[in-house]
Amino acid sequence: MSFFASKNTKLNTRGLKFDSVGLVTGLVLLIILPALVKSNNYILQVFTHALLLANLALAWNILGVSGSISLGHAAFFGAGAYCSAVLSLEYGLSSWLTIPLAGLLAAGLGLIMNLICLRLRGAYFALATLAFVEIPRVITDNWDELTHGSLGLVSLPGLPSLSLGTWSVDFSASIMASYYFVFAFSLVLLGLVRFLFNSNLGLAFQAIREEEIAAEAVGISANRYRLLSLLLSAFFTGVSGACYAHLVRYIEPGLVYGLHFSAIPMIFAICGGRFTILGPAMAALIIYPLDQFVFHPLLPAGHEFLYGVVLILTVLFLPAGFWGSLRKIF
Amino acid sequence: MWTTALVSGISLGSFYILIALGFALIFGVTRNFNLAHGELVVFAGYVSYWLWKVWAWPFVLTFPAAVLATLLICLGLQRLFARLCEPLELNSIVLSFGMAILIQNTMLFWFSGDYRLIRIPTLSQGLHLPGLYLSYGQVTLLFLSLSMIAILYILMYRTYLGKALRATIQDKEAAAQAGINVAGMGTLAFCLGAILIGLAGPLYGCTHYLYPSTGHQITLLAVTITIFAGVGRLGGIILAGWILGLAESFAVILCGASWREMVAAVLLLTLLAFKPRGILGKGEQ
Repeated sequence: MSFFASKNTKLNTRGLKFDSVGLVTGLVLLIILPALVKSNNYILQVFTHALLLANLALAWNILGVSGSISLGHAAFFGAGAYCSAVLSLEYGLSSWLTIPLAGLLAAGLGLIMNLICLRLRGAYFALATLAFVEIPRVITDNWDELTHGSLGLVSLPGLPSLSLGTWSVDFSASIMASYYFVFAFSLVLLGLVRFLFNSNLGLAFQAIREEEIAAEAVGISANRYRLLSLLLSAFFTGVSGACYAHLVRYIEPGLVYGLHFSAIPMIFAICGGRFTILGPAMAALIIYPLDQFVFHPLLPAGHEFLYGVVLILTVLFLPAGFWGSLRKIF
Repeated sequence: MWTTALVSGISLGSFYILIALGFALIFGVTRNFNLAHGELVVFAGYVSYWLWKVWAWPFVLTFPAAVLATLLICLGLQRLFARLCEPLELNSIVLSFGMAILIQNTMLFWFSGDYRLIRIPTLSQGLHLPGLYLSYGQVTLLFLSLSMIAILYILMYRTYLGKALRATIQDKEAAAQAGINVAGMGTLAFCLGAILIGLAGPLYGCTHYLYPSTGHQITLLAVTITIFAGVGRLGGIILAGWILGLAESFAVILCGASWREMVAAVLLLTLLAFKPRGILGKGEQ
């Protein structure tokens, strides 16, 4: 079976059942996780980060499902992080406002990327995105008055707080609160991706991936749908970047525009299965903790070789990703 | 100042040509984008640094060792590329991206993230000509790059082997029909590419700082030059390398050193935005 033209990954009922079982088990585990680990801060912190990366992978896969491989999502991630950080730090805006604005800025960047890459497909699109990251990175790096250049921004405001009547919760108060904030974002994103994949829009995305000319022939405008998937993907990547900025409270250009944040969502999405809904998130929640709990203590320098190995093995031996392959077995 | 920028741009550009040639050759013959290219150049630089610094080898002798190391890795890489399924170009990008992460982290583990330079005292001394400053490092870079380009030119355009390689680049099926061993040409391209990488690495190490994550920039340079030139045109690669070298060197003077990293990216994106047809015409068959 070929890797990028999938014939066997259409939603079938057996696969759907397997998906539901996986989804429910995963959600229950994630909800009771703080109780399971007795609020061990380090474990919760790792899983908060893993959930954030799962969101990134889910957002990446909105573009991935329409057939494009992006190696430049760090552009959206970094722009989102910087937008939210600068707006809340310099202008004192609430993070409830700056986080969506960060998404909008990232989507604007996606629009520019689409103008440049409009006619590019496959490998050339991937190479263009790889180069695209350099532009916002170097601009951020040089815009000293606003971003303090390569020094980065420190002591950013934390995640927002929510108050409904007499009940209020501050999401930056404890790691458990941050964990549930990111988890809620994951739920929203997962619900949206699920809705997208099963709607006509999702079918259009899959159609332009499988056979662009045929899709055009039945009236699906490939360019329009590709733009839509890129904008949605960029928006949620920007939002994830903003969440990251308020979660970690420290950003610098080399970090948020780094190759790491371009590579990670692609690796998780491909390992989990690009044509599945849950696969990318599952991969993030398994591989990242594995990296942090097992490989990081063993190899403090160079532990990220794991991501390279996992990606190589997936491309060579499991083209449908592990979740995509499991769905077919069960 | 302008003449200095001109000369250093040409010197840098010639080195970029040397760096891009290996990438372009492997891509032209096998249609594999090797995104681990820059990491391999840095790795060769580290091998040379290690032999020079720790085992106190003379710098010149580290070149064959670096070539040997990259040759072994590239032949292994070719075995992996051979297992890929269609669409080859996209899959090769994903595979070699994984490879790049793997090599980068291996280097981080072995050589740590510190900045290293193969510091050869004579190379940093210079010639003071009227209105022009030239370091011996630049002269060496220019001379060695140009002579290697010349050797490759003779190989590609004056020998039977080169003819077979060019035929494979132009049309794989027709070349196979004419009795050319296309798979063998693929292996040969990887070997030649590995030799070029192995020679570029130590040169990079004695003119630029080595650190594990710098390979990404080198890959971007190689991709830009290769796409600018189009497939299988040595003359185009030479022109593209010089344009890029000059553009970077003038960008440093006009806008400051921190904008230099954007030059290759902007050049590549402009090219892809306005002239994709020339590239796509050959890319998607």
